[in-house]
Formats: sequence, C-alpha cells, structure tokens
Amino acid sequence: MAIVKPEMKSYIWLETADGSIQEVEEEVAMFCPVICRELLQNGKGSSKNCAISLPERVNPANLELILEFCRFHQVPGRSNKERKKHDEKFVRLDTKTLCDLASAADSLQLRPVVDLTSRALARVIEGKTPEEIRETFHLPDDLTEEEKLEPLRNMTDDPRIRLLNRLYARKRKELYDRKKLKNVDAEEEPRVDERSVDDLLSFINSGDQDSKGVRVTKNKKKSRGRKEQARNLSSNNEAGNYNKESNCHTSGCLNGDTNNGSSPSRNSKLQNSPSAMFSSKLDLDDFDIDDELDPARKEEIDREVEDFARRLDSVWPERIQQILSLGQETRRLRPISMNGNGSMKRCTAGVDRG
Amino acid sequence: MSTLAPHFRTVMVNSLPLEVLEHIFSDITSDKDRNSISLVCKSWYEAERCCRKSVFIGNCYAVSPSILIRRFPDLRSVTIKGKPHFADFDLVPEGWGAYFYPWAVSMAKAYPFLEEIRLKRMVVCDESLELISKSFKNFRVLVLQSCEGFTTDGLAAIAANCRNLRQLDLGESEVEDLSGHWLSHFPDSCTSLVSLNIACLASEVSFSALERLVARSPHLRTLRLNRAVSIEKLPKLLRHASKLVEFGTGSYSADMQADVSEVFVNVSQAFSGCNQLKGLSGFWDAVPAYFPTIYPVHSKLTSLNLSYATIQIPDLGKLIGNCLNLQRLWVLDYIEDSGLEEIANTCKELQELRVFPSDPFAPGPNVSLTEQGLVAVSMGCPKLQSVLYFCRQMTNDALVTIARNRPHMIRFRLCIIEPRTPDYLTLEPLDTGFGAIVQHCKELRRLSLSGLLTDRVFEYIGVHAKKLEMLSLAFAGDSDLGLHYVLSGCESLRKLEIRDCPFGDEALLANAAKLETMRSLWMSNCSVSFEACKLLAQKLPGLNVEVIDERGHPDTRPESCPVEKLYIYRTVSGRRFDTPGFVWIIDEDAALTPYSNGNCSLASS
Repeated sequence: MAIVKPEMKSYIWLETADGSIQEVEEEVAMFCPVICRELLQNGKGSSKNCAISLPERVNPANLELILEFCRFHQVPGRSNKERKKHDEKFVRLDTKTLCDLASAADSLQLRPVVDLTSRALARVIEGKTPEEIRETFHLPDDLTEEEKLEPLRNMTDDPRIRLLNRLYARKRKELYDRKKLKNVDAEEEPRVDERSVDDLLSFINSGDQDSKGVRVTKNKKKSRGRKEQARNLSSNNEAGNYNKESNCHTSGCLNGDTNNGSSPSRNSKLQNSPSAMFSSKLDLDDFDIDDELDPARKEEIDREVEDFARRLDSVWPERIQQILSLGQETRRLRPISMNGNGSMKRCTAGVDRG
Repeated sequence: MSTLAPHFRTVMVNSLPLEVLEHIFSDITSDKDRNSISLVCKSWYEAERCCRKSVFIGNCYAVSPSILIRRFPDLRSVTIKGKPHFADFDLVPEGWGAYFYPWAVSMAKAYPFLEEIRLKRMVVCDESLELISKSFKNFRVLVLQSCEGFTTDGLAAIAANCRNLRQLDLGESEVEDLSGHWLSHFPDSCTSLVSLNIACLASEVSFSALERLVARSPHLRTLRLNRAVSIEKLPKLLRHASKLVEFGTGSYSADMQADVSEVFVNVSQAFSGCNQLKGLSGFWDAVPAYFPTIYPVHSKLTSLNLSYATIQIPDLGKLIGNCLNLQRLWVLDYIEDSGLEEIANTCKELQELRVFPSDPFAPGPNVSLTEQGLVAVSMGCPKLQSVLYFCRQMTNDALVTIARNRPHMIRFRLCIIEPRTPDYLTLEPLDTGFGAIVQHCKELRRLSLSGLLTDRVFEYIGVHAKKLEMLSLAFAGDSDLGLHYVLSGCESLRKLEIRDCPFGDEALLANAAKLETMRSLWMSNCSVSFEACKLLAQKLPGLNVEVIDERGHPDTRPESCPVEKLYIYRTVSGRRFDTPGFVWIIDEDAALTPYSNGNCSLASS
C-alpha cells in the first residue's frame, strides 16, 4: 500500500541503476507503463525498501526530465494547445540529452516521450552531411571506402590543382615534343578530321566546326507529340518533380559492389612519371597549352603559370609528393581521382579541401 | 520496446536502442538525408537499410535488382528512371534498353508488400504489368511516365487484379491500344481510385465503363482524360467527381450533332460544382466559344496546361487573364508577347512558365513571340523560378535583364529554334546573356542553352554555376575548352547532355574523374574518338562507357574516328547484358564484347 500523505497524494519509490532512490507522486509515476505495471502487478514501490528498480538506461538526470513531462501531462485540464506548446519547449535539449532521454523513455515504454525526442532528433539529423552527423552523435567513421562509394569530390575544382595540371602538362608536352623530334615517323598522314593535338589545343584555330556540317535534328512526329518538335533540346513534358533528382543511389553506400574492379595495383600507381600510365598516342595535356598559340597569349599564360607556381610555394613534384604522402598515411582514402596529366593518385579528404 | 529486466533484448546502436533509431529514421524521408544517414557509420548503415521504405534509382543501369534487394529488404516504393533524357528527341535508338521486366521479376519475389512503382522512360511489357498486378497484394500506385512497350492488355491486368489501386498514371507513355475495354476490368468492388491519368491513350476507352468507374470512386482527386472524350461528355463525369483537384479534359470541342449552347451550359454547371479544382489540362482542339465554361473555376486555378490548345490571342489572353492565382502555366506560343505581358500584369503568383512552339518547322516566325514576352514575365512575376521558352530570337540584353530580375531562378531552359542564332540586334553570340543568367541566378539547378555560343559561355558557367545539376547543350561552343570549363567548374553537375558540339577527347580525358561524380554524360554527334572511349573505360571501371553507333562495329573504322553517340554513366552493377547490336560497352580490358540480342537477362550481380 502506498503511504498516504496529508495532502492526500500517494507517493511511490523509484530506484535508478546507480542506487539512488527517490520519492515520486504516484499519479505522476503511473504515467509510465513500466512503473505502472511494477506497482500494480508486482506490488513494488510502496516503500524505500521495495523501491521499483528502473531500467538501466534511466538515470537521475533523465528521470527528472521524464517525471517533469509526466507531471505536466497527467494534469487533466490542459488544452491541446498548451500540451503542444509544452512539448515543443520540452525537447529543446542538446543532442546528447535527447538521445539519453529517448533511450530512457524507450525502456520505460513512455511512448509520447520517445515520439517527441525521436522527432526532435530527426530534425537534428536532417540536412547534415554524414560527417556532421558523425560529429554531432560522436559516431565512429568505420565504413570502408568501398562501402562508402562516395561521390568523388572533383579534384580539379581546386584552382591550385588546375594550375598544377597546366604546369605539369607543359612539362609533359616538352618531353613529348622532344620525343617527336627524335621519332621522325611519329605521325603518319594528317588525320582527316583535323583532330590533331595542336588544333584542338589552340585558341585561335579552334578547328573547323563547319566541316562537321549543320546537323538537323531528326524529328519524327510521333503521337507523343510534344517532344520532337524543336531541333534544339529541352523536353517540354517532364514532370516537374525535381526533388526526385536529388539523389542518385550509386552515390549511396552500397557494399559488396560487384563491379568494383579496384585492383590493389592502383595503390602502386602513385608514381612520378604519370606519362608512363598512358600508352596511347593521345596527348592528354591540359588543352590550353599550345605552341601554336600566338606568342603574346602564350607569354601571358606562361607568366600566369609561373606566377602561380611561385605563389604555390612549391614546384609541382614536391606538391605531388605531399599529396602522395598524405594519401599513404591516412587509413581512409578517397577513391581514385585522375588529374589532367592522367596519373592516378589517391587523395585524402584533406587534400580535397586544400 | 524493452521491458524492465532484460536489456539484452534491446539492440543498442551506439547508445540508442535500435527501435528508437529506426523510429527517428522513419521521420526522415528525403533521399538525400537517407543517403547521408547510411554513410555515417556501419551501424547506422545497417539500421537505415533495414527500415528504408522508398528508393529512387535515377539510372536503371547504375544498380541491379539483386543489389537493390540485398541492401533494402523491405521496400514499399520504388522509382526508376531508364533512358537518358535525349531519348525524348529520338536520339536514343529503339531497342537501346531500359527494360523493366528484370526488375519486375526480382521485386515480385523479394517485396511482396511493395505498394508503389514509378517508372520513367522505361520499356515495360505486358508481362511486367501482369506480374505487378499479381505479385503485390497491397499495390497502390503505378506511374508510367514516358514509357513504352505495353498494350491495353497489360492495363487490363492491372485494373483487374490490383484491389487497392489508388493511382494509375500513364504519363506520356506510348500504349498500344488493343481495346478500349480494359477499363471495364476494374471490378465493381474497386472504389479506391484517387488518381487516373489516361491522357496519352490514342483511341477511345469505353465511356460507360469510365463513367461507372468515376461514379464509384469517391476519393478521386485527379482525372485526366484522353482526346477521344469530347466536351459534351464531361458533365456526366464531373457530376460524380465534384471533389476533383486536377482535371484533364479531352477534346474541347463537341460532336457535330451537339447543341452548342446546351453543351456550354452543362459544362459550366459541371465546373461550378467542382469547387476544389486547382489544375486543368487537356483542351485538345479547343474552341474559343467553350472557354467561358471554365470561368467558374479559373480564378482558383494554380495550374493550367494549354499546350495542346491551338487557340490564339485574344481568346487565350482572356482565358488566362483571370487566373490570378496561377502558379504554373504551359502554353503554346500563340500566347505571343502581348499575352505574356498580360500575364506579367495579372499572374503574380506565377512560378513556372513553359511556352511551346506551335510550328517549329515553319521557316520563319508564325507568331509574334519574341524575347520581349519572356522579359515581361520576368519583370512582372516575382516568384518566377522555372522557365522553358521556345522562341526564334533573343538578345544578350534580354537575358541580362531576365537574370537581374529573377535571381532566384532554378530552372532555365531557352530554346531558340534555329541552331546558332546570334543576338539579333548585335549579331554577337549569346555568351554574355547566358553568362548573366548563371552569374545572377546562384541557385540555378537546370540550364539548357541555345543560340550562337562560344567557349566563353562555358567559362562563365564553369565559374558561376556552382549549384547546376543538369546542363543541356546543342550546337554550342568552339573547342574542348568549352567542355573542360563545364566539367572542371560545375561542382554539382550530375547530368550533362550534349549534341552536335565540337567537343572531343581532350577535355573528356582531362576531366575523366569528374564523370564518376556524375550520374551520366550523353554526347552525340561530337568528336569523341573510339580510342578515348576505350581509355576512359580502362581507367575508370566505375563507369559504363557505352558507344552507340549504328554504322557497325567501331573496329571497322579507325580508332580516331568519332563515335556517333556516347553514353557514360557510373554504376555499381558492372556492364549490362541486354544491349542491342548497335551498343558496345567497353570493358575494363578494352575488349569489346557486343551482345547482339535484346536479351532481358538480369545484369549480373
């Protein structure tokens, strides 16, 4: 039997896992199904000696919060609006406390608090990157690279990388040209479609576009009607639900991907002579370097590149070395990226941002 | 939930009970957030995948059915896209792929509780539809957007067997009409329909069956009829569907025998009974005399699709002029500049405008629609964020004005009908104009270019269009520099489709790594050599490099010869095995293994 106090309220005794015991109004505590059951079915909680042992996940701190919630809501007269307002304020807690509270409430089967905290935690998670979520919840970064299959950060959006590419491409071209001089029969007849390297790389002589002819769109008028009308693009009948386009699932984490032909040899391809990687006769130079350029423009580019190299404070091989060594240190490597000179290198997240 | 004593019954995931974690996740539904969750750590990945209910697959060949099923054991909703967007312009030859059948077979076994299937640009056969109708007891939603390969027999199976069907949307699919009686296959007990879109069907459906179906569907909120339903029949349907929110009329002209004034009165009355109507479409063969029938509802309309209505100003203007709450307007260029100016004055809620060409093959302008119309709308409609505009002339100034007026533009697709048309006043390329668009509209996610364009416009795009996700190009640029700017600069780029541009190997190879960060790249009639394709395939095994060439095996031509069409997309399921004879997928070892039959075999997993 519960002790009846002068105020006509009964109290029961609750014990948390750490051994501390407290007295709580019965009507408040009964809000929790688990406590309710212990009291009614097992007759516990009437005295300090037979206090109700609360689940391990309940500690004094979150118990206080839970009881506060129960205390508010077990008062019958409150309006829905009041209750809602209370709840909104109630979950304005830091993430750790929310998790703790959710866990405790779950063990007490206090559904409303579980719902509230879950929803609040969902709002915490929404909009965050995986990294941010990890930080917020103190979670380990234990997915392997393959498992992540993260979309690659575009390496070349770093202007320094771009300039590096140019520098490197220039050097490669010098090598190539020297080789060409040695090798008299390097090129046979000029390619009919004028796609020789020089033409492609030149600004002025941008290739004869007209030789490709003006292509008329094939336009079969089908019963589909709309789509084939213009010679230009643009579908005019797309459902406008662009929200759907926010994700391609290949970017998500798919483990055990079968296609990943990531050969272990990739690692070993971090080397100093990327030109060896590409055995094709295609020149993969960054296209804006060309000896056919008018001298003024060439000079301009040269100056720009040298200037940037100076500002970079390192000549490209050192930078590459840096990148390589960073790559080898970190356990979690970003997937392959290929820079303009065609070398394969593993770059870390740190390099991406740098 | 756990009980007092044995906490070992509860699976804890980093200090949260698994059930609670799943409960949290159940409140997070956007694909982006779900993907983020799955990348946090191993335990969250596991928790997430087990409770994921809905999946969006942007490219059916990026992943295989078995991979999907292995990862997500309990899906209720699947959305899959097949052919690339340029298929809408007949650039993807028939038989290329995107077969739904393998997915149907796998999902039929794995997801008995599947409820929703949404497909776009896929080939769906009747067998698939039958399989769907018989395998999923709770099946509710079937959306076939721009699909093909099925007949009304398949639809009959869906109608007959899906007890709880809520949505049947045939989008703009190509359906072989074997019989209009498929509608009669909906059992009398079927009263669950919420949305029915049969606008794409060419031939008549049994009207009595349709009427009965509508009459017993109290939850019907969307109904889009096909052209075969003429206007005088509308009251019979609307009478039973007074709660409609979206309605697509059939042909908006009456049979010869009909009494025009009677039809007029009946239809007006029918519309006045629909006080929740927000969207209208259809209007084939629209006759201006019938337009006032819409007056009872037009001030409440938020969406109006008149792209099949060949009516002209001033009737067109009168109709739209009173639609003060219009948010979305699709219309033919009969609207002309004057009509657009009126819209700019009255439709202040307008968010999306699409103006289609009434006669794209006319040698010269057949209507008075110029850049002025678009400029007017951009000035008058403060919420405008999505534009598709077909016209015949444009100036840089106009584009700059539009850009300045509407910096919150999200989608901007301009189609100047004649390729390589310059600024008609200055005869300069439109680089500056589009440059202004990307510079001012920082949230731009989709862009289509047209007109005379040099590499400079791509420089602007590369520098400014950081949120751009989809870019469509045709007859633009001078050299590889253009492509390089785009690939190296557009950080958010996911889909790039190019036709008839002088882009070749250099830019592509220099930016090869970028391709793994994108969903897909389409290049047709450009200058990418077969050799470069092989190189790409070799170096980036995470991509499928598809050479589509109807001239025969690429080896019959020199390696440096440009391929006809190139479709590159990232994938985790390896090469596919259902390619037709004119598609070659280059393996990592650059061995070419064409598969010459259209076998619907599952991609291996």
